[in-house]
Amino acid sequence: MKGRRDPLISSRASRAALVLAAIAYLVLVLILPLLSVFGNALAKGVGVFMDSLKDPDARAAIHLTLTVAAIAVPLNTITGIAGAWAITKFDFPGKGFLVTLVDLPFSVSPVVTGLVYILLFGAQGLLGPILAEHNIKIVFAIPGIVLATMFVTFPFVARELIPLMTEQGRSDEEAAMSLGANGWQTFFRVTLPNIRWGLLYGVLLCNARAMGEFGAVSVVSGHIRGETNTMPLHIEILYNEYNYVAAFAVASLLAMLALVTLVLKTVLEWLSGHEPVGRGH
Amino acid sequence: MTAVSAIDVVKRFGRYPALNHVTVEVKSGEFLALLGPSGSGKTTLLRLFAGLDFPDSGTITFDGEDVSARPVRERGVGFVFQNYALFKHMTVAQNIAFGLRVKPWRQRPRRREIASRVEELLDLVQLPGYGKRYPAQLSGGQRQRVALARALAVQPKLLLLDEPFGALDAKVRKDLRRWLREIHDETGITSIFVTHDQDEALEIADRVVVMSSGRIEQIDEPATVYNRPTSAFVADFLGDANRLTAAIEGGRVRLGPLLLDNAAGAQPDGEAVAYVRSHEVAVAEGEEGIAVRVDHVLDAGPALRIDATVLTTGEAIELRLVSGQPVAAGTELRLRPTLVRAYPVRS
Repeated sequence: MKGRRDPLISSRASRAALVLAAIAYLVLVLILPLLSVFGNALAKGVGVFMDSLKDPDARAAIHLTLTVAAIAVPLNTITGIAGAWAITKFDFPGKGFLVTLVDLPFSVSPVVTGLVYILLFGAQGLLGPILAEHNIKIVFAIPGIVLATMFVTFPFVARELIPLMTEQGRSDEEAAMSLGANGWQTFFRVTLPNIRWGLLYGVLLCNARAMGEFGAVSVVSGHIRGETNTMPLHIEILYNEYNYVAAFAVASLLAMLALVTLVLKTVLEWLSGHEPVGRGH
Repeated sequence: MTAVSAIDVVKRFGRYPALNHVTVEVKSGEFLALLGPSGSGKTTLLRLFAGLDFPDSGTITFDGEDVSARPVRERGVGFVFQNYALFKHMTVAQNIAFGLRVKPWRQRPRRREIASRVEELLDLVQLPGYGKRYPAQLSGGQRQRVALARALAVQPKLLLLDEPFGALDAKVRKDLRRWLREIHDETGITSIFVTHDQDEALEIADRVVVMSSGRIEQIDEPATVYNRPTSAFVADFLGDANRLTAAIEGGRVRLGPLLLDNAAGAQPDGEAVAYVRSHEVAVAEGEEGIAVRVDHVLDAGPALRIDATVLTTGEAIELRLVSGQPVAAGTELRLRPTLVRAYPVRS
């Protein structure tokens, strides 16, 4: 306190109180629940924990979740980049409408999303008879789960990129093209390096949500054990059956995936920080 | 010989016409300035030459060939952007080599040729040894030079520069603009640059195109534009001119008690605006003159700068007197313009 006092905080005591309050809040809202997930999962020992994960239905759920993410995330990444690129680098009529449309999945309740797919592709739905005729199953099957997940997670990549690419403007691309680069060269050599950290963050968020999505998937899945149950749905079933250890074991795995996502992001940010000045953002 | 031209070009953004039937011909090897205030259409015209935008009507020609519909990557122009638009994830050398590396592989020079070309260009822009740095590690002036080297690497037929010195401080600007002129004389590339700074345009361009609200006001050599402006806008925009209410009587300019020759040539009689440059005014000694009250005197710099008010009309007038007796604020003076240009009031 040698004349360098923070003008906003008058005393050491109030500063300490604020820090403590923040820590207490974090512990209560984030850390305790997370610890309790792992605590409950291991309540009856590591053996039971491992057995719950080796259960065929659990394995099927894990497999399905990974499959869905493996399809939905790359597709949303590509369409998200394409959308952000179109919106930020070109002027065309209906642009404002497209921006609004990108946000639609965020503003619609996931349950409504699921119901829309049922109304569209279900047996009594609009396209139901045609699909039945060709023996194509979408609702209560994996295609429906993938579609619902894609819808819900669509905005993550585009939303992350649009502000970033708007801020960067068009002159880098114009410069590349004036130097003779074609569209692909411009994209891969100039645009992509400029947006890579934002893109990566968008993809990680998209992936986390794709694996964790519950509402929309719950409506279209049909909850067929070992077939159309994703990890979040499997956890709910186990929990409703009072099978707490198994529920928390699968839940801890899902939480682990989220933690890995965060660690990956931190590592990548750390790596980007070690690159020459001015890189990234 | 005409190298590039814009013929009767119109460009609208929405309903707002950015360029309104503009025709410019640029001679081979010429260094042309597009000068005008913001919103005059100068940058739009530059982008049409580049192929970054396309005219709604009219044609752009390169060596007599119509290139209006040809996109930027096929025009063979070098473009230096106002913010330089350097690729920040690439080194200086990678930036300069970009245009060579993206060529189709049949036309692409070998690695070693590219490297030696980059070295040559770094020497040309006086940044030898800077190849391994990143743009963020350079000063504004250095980035500007890298941007120029990058544009020159593809050996363009036409070099286009958008406010090349806009983002630099005054001292660097002055050095760089002379240097840019030297580079132009060395390479001989037909060049067009956009600026809103009249000193810049007058100092380094071969010819100056003065633009205002999407139209061309005058195209001439710097001395002609400055000394013989052909319109009220040019007279007003160039050279710190004072605007005074006047009248044209029998072809001469009536300014208060004075009747002076009109340097703007023959103009119709009637109400007029007279443009008088601050250094083209003398104190009337024992003669008739425009009576003014001295408001403020600044005696710093090569000339005495005086802010005064015309007594009859209340108009402000600024003058620069290189010599003469001391003038005090609050006193009255009689002035006599040594040169006046008057144009009829546009009604």
